[in-house]
Amino acid sequence: MNFEEDDTKHIETFHYIFPTLTTEKDQILEIPIEIPFLGLVSELTKRIMENFSLPCYIEDELNGALEHFIKTQTIEYHDRVAVEAIENVQNNMVDVEDIIKKWEKLFKEVVHFKKVYFSNIKYYFINYDFYSQETTEYAEKKISSDNEVFSNVYHKLMHSGAALQTMLQVEQSYALAASHVMSQRNEQISSLTAQQTEEITNALENTLNNETYINEMVAKHFEDQNLLQGRWNSEVDTLKETQKREYREWIMKLLEEYQTNNTLSPLCSPTSPTDIPSFSETSVLGGSSIPMMEESFTIHLGSQMKQMHNIRIMSADILDFCRIKLKNDVSVNPSPQRLQTALGLYSNDLCGLVLLNDNNDLSGFSGLAKKFYEVCDCSTEFHFPGVLEQLETLKIQIKDAVSWRNSCQHPGNLTTSEQQSRRSGSKHLQTGDVFLTKHSNLSSVHIVFHMIVDDSLRSNEINSRHSAILGLRNILKTACLNDITTLTIPVLLMHEMTEEMTVAWCTKRAELVFKCVKGFMIEMASWGGSDLKNLQFLVPKGISEEVFASLATMLPSIFRVSNPLVFKVSSTPTTPKIKARR
Amino acid sequence: MSEIDTTLDYKFGAQTLFALRHTGEICGSNGLPLTPKSIGILGKSQILKTFKHASLATYLDFIRGKHERLLIVSEFKKQNLKSRLYENKSSVIKIAHQVLKALAYLNSNGIVHRALCAENILLDEKGDVKLFNYGLYHMTNNGLDVEFPIGSVKYMAPEVLVSVLNKNYISGPKVDVWSLGIILMEIIFKTELWPKLKLSQCLRKVLSLIYCDDVLSRFARESDKMQIYQEMDSDLKNFLESCLQVNPKNRSIPEELLKHKIFEGVTEMQFINDFEEENNNGHPLNLWQLHELYYLWQLAGGDVHSELKRNGLIKTKPPILSVPSLILLEGMSFGHIKDPACMLDLKVVPLSLDALTARLKHINFNIYYPLIETKLHLINDLENSDKELENLPLIIRERDTEYQLHRIVLYKRLLQGYPYTRRRIYHEAIKDIPPIFRGEIWAALLDVKGDIENEYIAIDKETPIPTDRQIEVDIPRCHQYNELLSSKRGHLKLKRILKAWVVNSQQYVYWQGLDSLCAPFLCLNFNNEARAFASFSAFIPKYLHNFFLKDNSAVIKEYLAKFFHLMAYHDPILAKHLQEINFIPELFAIPWFLTMFSHVFPLHKIFHLWDKLLLGDSSYPLFIGLAILEQLRDTLLQSGFNECILLFSDLPEVDIERCVTISSNLYFDTPRSITFRKFQLNSSTDKLPYTLTEDMMSEIQKELNPRLDVVDFLELVNSRDTRSNVLVVDARSNSEFGEKSVAGSINIPYESIDFKNDISSGIPSSPELSVLINNKGKMIIIIGQTASEAAKFCSFLTNAEFSKVCFLNGGIDVLLSSGILTQVNSY
Repeated sequence: MNFEEDDTKHIETFHYIFPTLTTEKDQILEIPIEIPFLGLVSELTKRIMENFSLPCYIEDELNGALEHFIKTQTIEYHDRVAVEAIENVQNNMVDVEDIIKKWEKLFKEVVHFKKVYFSNIKYYFINYDFYSQETTEYAEKKISSDNEVFSNVYHKLMHSGAALQTMLQVEQSYALAASHVMSQRNEQISSLTAQQTEEITNALENTLNNETYINEMVAKHFEDQNLLQGRWNSEVDTLKETQKREYREWIMKLLEEYQTNNTLSPLCSPTSPTDIPSFSETSVLGGSSIPMMEESFTIHLGSQMKQMHNIRIMSADILDFCRIKLKNDVSVNPSPQRLQTALGLYSNDLCGLVLLNDNNDLSGFSGLAKKFYEVCDCSTEFHFPGVLEQLETLKIQIKDAVSWRNSCQHPGNLTTSEQQSRRSGSKHLQTGDVFLTKHSNLSSVHIVFHMIVDDSLRSNEINSRHSAILGLRNILKTACLNDITTLTIPVLLMHEMTEEMTVAWCTKRAELVFKCVKGFMIEMASWGGSDLKNLQFLVPKGISEEVFASLATMLPSIFRVSNPLVFKVSSTPTTPKIKARR
Repeated sequence: MSEIDTTLDYKFGAQTLFALRHTGEICGSNGLPLTPKSIGILGKSQILKTFKHASLATYLDFIRGKHERLLIVSEFKKQNLKSRLYENKSSVIKIAHQVLKALAYLNSNGIVHRALCAENILLDEKGDVKLFNYGLYHMTNNGLDVEFPIGSVKYMAPEVLVSVLNKNYISGPKVDVWSLGIILMEIIFKTELWPKLKLSQCLRKVLSLIYCDDVLSRFARESDKMQIYQEMDSDLKNFLESCLQVNPKNRSIPEELLKHKIFEGVTEMQFINDFEEENNNGHPLNLWQLHELYYLWQLAGGDVHSELKRNGLIKTKPPILSVPSLILLEGMSFGHIKDPACMLDLKVVPLSLDALTARLKHINFNIYYPLIETKLHLINDLENSDKELENLPLIIRERDTEYQLHRIVLYKRLLQGYPYTRRRIYHEAIKDIPPIFRGEIWAALLDVKGDIENEYIAIDKETPIPTDRQIEVDIPRCHQYNELLSSKRGHLKLKRILKAWVVNSQQYVYWQGLDSLCAPFLCLNFNNEARAFASFSAFIPKYLHNFFLKDNSAVIKEYLAKFFHLMAYHDPILAKHLQEINFIPELFAIPWFLTMFSHVFPLHKIFHLWDKLLLGDSSYPLFIGLAILEQLRDTLLQSGFNECILLFSDLPEVDIERCVTISSNLYFDTPRSITFRKFQLNSSTDKLPYTLTEDMMSEIQKELNPRLDVVDFLELVNSRDTRSNVLVVDARSNSEFGEKSVAGSINIPYESIDFKNDISSGIPSSPELSVLINNKGKMIIIIGQTASEAAKFCSFLTNAEFSKVCFLNGGIDVLLSSGILTQVNSY
């Protein structure tokens, strides 16, 4: 049975006979009408009257006849379709089980067990509770709802004012403890390495030692290294796990206390980490610096309805958005960025960052990606799985995604040929694909978009159909649909300055990205998501001042800058009158 | 007045649902971005607001939230048939009758309920039916635009159940009849159908019915109600049986069922009686149309979104918990965790009117009954309370509950009296126009009356015409930030109105820009195409007469020349600058005037702009143009040609209220004859004072400064108020001046001027020169020997940054009969 055939278009012919005054013969009208008829019958009558130049005395009657015809035909049409559907079941041409399965799917996917949430509301309508008693169906959702509860508590406490300071301090002391252990680890590992290097050098110098001996020694060194690293890593992991557990328990307790007393004892931190090492100066997790050059604009987009956005162009190390400055003294206020990020974690204003990644299988860590993972690992992730754990989960999803790609019929954003080439590709991600990680322990970022890129970006010849640009569009769309309202994009699609990036190269690339992003932003306006409030264009640290300046001047010529507020000084300045008050 | 109940019971409630999201691809076949489904729903749902029926809960508002959420506001009653299922046997017939009446009304409007169930039959205080949720199936494009199924299984007709796999299936009116049958049966058998069955069992139950011939008796048997079944009145049994026919062919439609025997003698529900009853005791607002009440409720701080949120119906997970973890380049994302709070929950949150009642508590009830024609001291007092509000900015007035209450009360009366109250409407519109009636008031200001409905119906909007293609290209680019205009329904309506206009105005052609021009009218009259069309058709001849001729160059040329004259008249510095850099109005002002600024500004600004525009004559737009330039003035004066082009290609934000104020000041500060155009539509009262020949036209267009007509001249010179602000300069020779001249005028002979130099050295030093310079800022009227001389003199003054310079059309001769010429003794 083929249900796909388009049987909604259905034409019936309307016959109408009317007498004329001049001839004996009756006139016959035959008009094909689509059923169900969607227009106005009275308009149809007028059109018929006009087109056939019919005498006006038949208008009312014709209208009545048409109305009647359309009505009966529509009913007949509905009846016919309905009877056919029923007969199909009666004749076993359609399996009842398929029908039942489909309905069950429809109801269960969509209709929610609302008892959990809304038991205290008086007025119920269309009570779908009836259909979803099998709560086991929803067991898998429990895990996430656990997270949800925690997120609610955290958000509430963060915004309570009373707990905010304490929480950040606790987080900081935890981070310090973790960084202490990790620096110990690094120290030991490097001292072992030094020791081993020395041994090897000595052994090599001693010509008596044969090859086997050397080999054995190397093997032993390798083993020792592994042993040491393994020991430390497991220590770090244990520490982090403990921290995470303690932290989450503490937060829940904090809420209880807050709710009963409505106040908080000032330093009711969890088993406060005792052995905080005393660093002599501010320690930065992973080393940091402030952005070198920066310029901001307020722009508006749209031809009639103007939408305001903040745009900033800055030159900085992209990891500066991630690193947290740790101060030794936990009572010192945390940095404003960190505060902002913590407050916004569960809000509808998330911060995102685009990180370019040139390894497509998430395994071989190298370059910037590796540095990024290290920064993430510097402190405990209290809210989400650790970054490496997230990557593991991702690998499973990539398998699904690749198989989807290979079986997918719709090219989506791509042209058919573009899609063909991707389909024949590997089982890894490809240029323009993006994976996401979420973080609560970075300086000013919640979500990192890792876009896969390749060497083609070094070329001067990329255009708006390049995968990386299309990938940017997907990123902007995802941002829009998921309330990510601050986004940082490496505007040259490069994280470091290299030889081939001449002035002309930089200008051309920046222009392309600016223009494409502008287009995507205009497009986004109709998607009904959240507006991108802050857009930051990042250029690599090593860029020269002139190039930066030329990129910065390009911005207001591509994006329309809002009316600047101009203060005018009138020719006769009036002295402000201030009334003296007693 | 005796005891009056000042409280208002709640009257409406809100629900929320999600539209289906587009997956993957973002572009449609036309290369334009896909319209979100929520917008489609919004467009389709508008018509529901127009349904007024005694047994239907009126729809009041549809609001689009973020991320495809929709909020629905409609009339609401606490009681429903479900909560009173078992006490109602006696009124079964009444309920059946009212439900069928409502269904028949819906059917006649092409709508099927589809979700009919006991919960969706609300009952008011008197036990009368208000059908609820009846728009769901229609607005969601027969359920295609949402993820959830529409209807509840146990009430679903068999054909609905079996058609679930057929995407093209559309329910007809008979599915509701089945649902009604089941509901009535539940009442009569005093039992709830299958209260404990699981979904799948329930489905099986209904599906098994398709092999059953006598559904009613089977139900009776199954639910152990054979006794009731056997004792049932035979008419009622017959009625139920005709509802519960498995084969739709044998089931009746609501309209036919109303003729059934059991309804003999049933009295029709009287809509009017309700009114009178409530009229005697109760708050006057109880008599208001619900949508007006809802409007006030919003002004008094009512916020549907936050009400739903407070009641736990809008509850979303923090977005960071549901972001996807992988996005392929194709646009497909993975790992997105569906927010369970996005699932359907059509619970209704009643919206309390307490805040509104409290806000209006102190208001005297007399306010609600204004006297339009007679003035009483009492009423005057009340009006005075408005006086201070009237001086507040428009934006504040539009949001003030009390002020809008007064305006609504007043305008309601006035609009009821239209067209006889047109003058009064015009008069009130000078103050402001309340947003809720803007569509009607605009139509009134444009003098739209008569049988517009049938006139519109008579126009053929279907037959293809050559401009269809252009119209179809323009519509998806016309004010698409507006939700209604970007909906499919909005596109269709805009197309119909534009086509109707093209067909109806044979002498004109479709010019790009007409779409923008039509948009405000459609937006204000979304449910009344005829009025939108009539207003639109009345607007064009009034303000854009002949602008849409196939060859409109002459019209536009004259218009822009006038625009430049006005600029020179009011702002010589800017005019001089623009002339110097050769940035002529042709380069920027054509879209302004051709669309009456509707292409330049967003709709909410157009509304305020046109509120004023509609009060002025056809020259008013010129002043709006000037007022816009005023806001860009500083930038323009510093810019060269290229910068100017760039500036106008994407116009910066313009303050509309300031624009309105300035334009109306300029309008009143300009003699009418300065803006006279040959191509304006001239009514009998507003005739051109002189005939314009072709030669004169081209001359005028070359001139920099406007000509003044003798009528205005005499008025200015003879009136004591204006005389002191006018300086008449006679440019004829000394001797001619001596012979006859206007009293009080000064004489600077044309021949004596050296046009190459600036003013102080160009005119020989004389007392006249100092008079001229000292009177800078006054209106300066040149009387010349010939028009070209006078024009040259004028532009000389304009270049010297003299404002308000013009010359007398026709020279001294037109004054011969006026009697203001005197003879000056010459030496």
